[in-house]
Amino acid sequence: MSGPVEIVASFADESGCAGSIEKLRTAKPIAVRVFSPIPSHHIEHAIGKRKSPVRAFVLTGGILGVISALALTIGTSWEWNLVVGGKPIVSWPPFIVIMFELMVLFGGISAVLGFLLNARVPAFEIDAGYSSRFSGDRFGVVVRCEEGDSTRFESILRDAGAEEVGREAA
Amino acid sequence: MAAAVQEPVAPTFGDIDRSVLRVMEMPGLVYWIWVGFCFALVGIGAALWTRQIYEGLGVTGLRQPVMWAVYITNFVFWVGIAHSGTLISAILFLFRTRWRTAVYRAAETMTLFAVATAGLFPMIHLGRVWNLYWLLPYPNQRYLQPNFRSPLVWDAFAVSTYLTISALFLFMGLIPDVANAREHATGWRRTFYATLALGWRGTDEQWRHFSMAYLLLAGLATPLVLSVHSVVSWDFAMAQLPGWHSTIFAPYFVAGAIFSGVAMVITLLVPMRRWLHIEDLLTPWHFDNLAKVVLLTSLVVTYSYSVETFMAWYSGDKIEQMTFYMRYFGPWGWLFWVMVLCNCLIPLLLFSPRIRVNLTALWIISLFVNVGMWTERFVIIAGSLATNFNPSQWAFFRPSITEIMITAGSFGWFLGLFSLFARFLPIVSMTELKEGIVWLRKSLRKDYSRVA
Repeated sequence: MSGPVEIVASFADESGCAGSIEKLRTAKPIAVRVFSPIPSHHIEHAIGKRKSPVRAFVLTGGILGVISALALTIGTSWEWNLVVGGKPIVSWPPFIVIMFELMVLFGGISAVLGFLLNARVPAFEIDAGYSSRFSGDRFGVVVRCEEGDSTRFESILRDAGAEEVGREAA
Repeated sequence: MAAAVQEPVAPTFGDIDRSVLRVMEMPGLVYWIWVGFCFALVGIGAALWTRQIYEGLGVTGLRQPVMWAVYITNFVFWVGIAHSGTLISAILFLFRTRWRTAVYRAAETMTLFAVATAGLFPMIHLGRVWNLYWLLPYPNQRYLQPNFRSPLVWDAFAVSTYLTISALFLFMGLIPDVANAREHATGWRRTFYATLALGWRGTDEQWRHFSMAYLLLAGLATPLVLSVHSVVSWDFAMAQLPGWHSTIFAPYFVAGAIFSGVAMVITLLVPMRRWLHIEDLLTPWHFDNLAKVVLLTSLVVTYSYSVETFMAWYSGDKIEQMTFYMRYFGPWGWLFWVMVLCNCLIPLLLFSPRIRVNLTALWIISLFVNVGMWTERFVIIAGSLATNFNPSQWAFFRPSITEIMITAGSFGWFLGLFSLFARFLPIVSMTELKEGIVWLRKSLRKDYSRVA
């Protein structure tokens, strides 16, 4: 019976892993997933995905922080119109400090939230093809393809320098 | 005949894992005695604080006009200590500095616990600690909010933001490392690491978002670190008091903070390297670079002392001049000269490459810097208050046993927490060391025998 399968290959180094991904892209499998113990620009470049949307989270968080600080400082000044030191009720220059701090605070929290939401962590299920070595000293490439194409993909991975190539039912 | 040359070590990813994970094995009795000693100091400090809350601030040496002294000195000292952690973890990350990878986790951990220690002191300093919430944006019964023009309110925002961002930054960086530790652990440790790792598997999708979030957190932490100690300095500089009211305080305090913080990193790392047997991860190259940062910031601090003196003289302000005269030659003048010795003169030894890689000498110098920087804050804070505008008010401060033991307790709190972290969580980042493994290998090949 023919159906999709997952081929799991492990690599000892980053360059072999990145090289295999570039070759796989031209061979067009259904999907490729990579496990890596380190962040790698080579692998990221080989996969060719767009930049993370976490940037938008941070920008939004930062802007919200500034607006919140403005609302807090100006709003509370208006709420109780107490003249301090002969200054205007809304004497905004000292409020810049609060605006800056809340921009950083909200931006930082948004960065972490953006990461958690986009990276889908906490994750309670183990990704198919994962091996404990992929958190330590090996790089893993999982190729999802039709069973009929599996031999072709296995040979691509072996040619790219994979140490081990195995197959799992998808 | 040429001497036999030892083949340089070329660690692999597996070697890095083994070295770091070995540190996280169950520690022995000596470690627990040390941790017990640290928390015993905390217990003594807590008992004396309880007495202070019950009896009032009269149990301290605080008397008019010196109402800010040891506690506020401790606050500024510990906030300052925190700064180098963010410098190493965030600022040097943005600059892609290669030597930071082995030391940044320890420095960042130090940051978190130093800010957590600093945050205790405004509370301890309050006579009525239950009114702490007055600093928060929470209205009183007449709907009057805190005064956002006050540097003390800025400080509450700055320090709490710093604590939050430091904790998030440390936690984010830990995720891939605890995921790795999870794979090697059993029992409760496996559950503990698995919980902290949040199901991290290191997929390309996870790394894509992680890298961006980490980069942006570093980008946010960089101006934050500069702002926090600037805001702390404005607690003083915004006041009219001679010796405090100075425009150079922000950069002067930031440089001093990095100076004391990097010295504290050295103070912690030298014994840690030996006791945890991580000589293969923390090499003389790392210490050489840390020592250069200490030397540079020492020169900046020395320049600041000189400029401060020049400004007092050039201003023509007699009261300012008298404050500085009393700082140098008054009853506490010896403290100023201790500070000059520790912060300006002794660090000059670091111009010698031989001393920079002699870890015993470096450790002793770092202790002098710690003492010198605590003294600097005390001289500025208590010294300026003691000799204010009106000579008839002048009075000198004597710390009581309460202040001394609470200070000792703060060191116990900081060192105890740091020691617990160092043995139960990865104190050296496996992920970043692997990422910069080429530089670790090169550092191990560096020949320091000619200078050491």
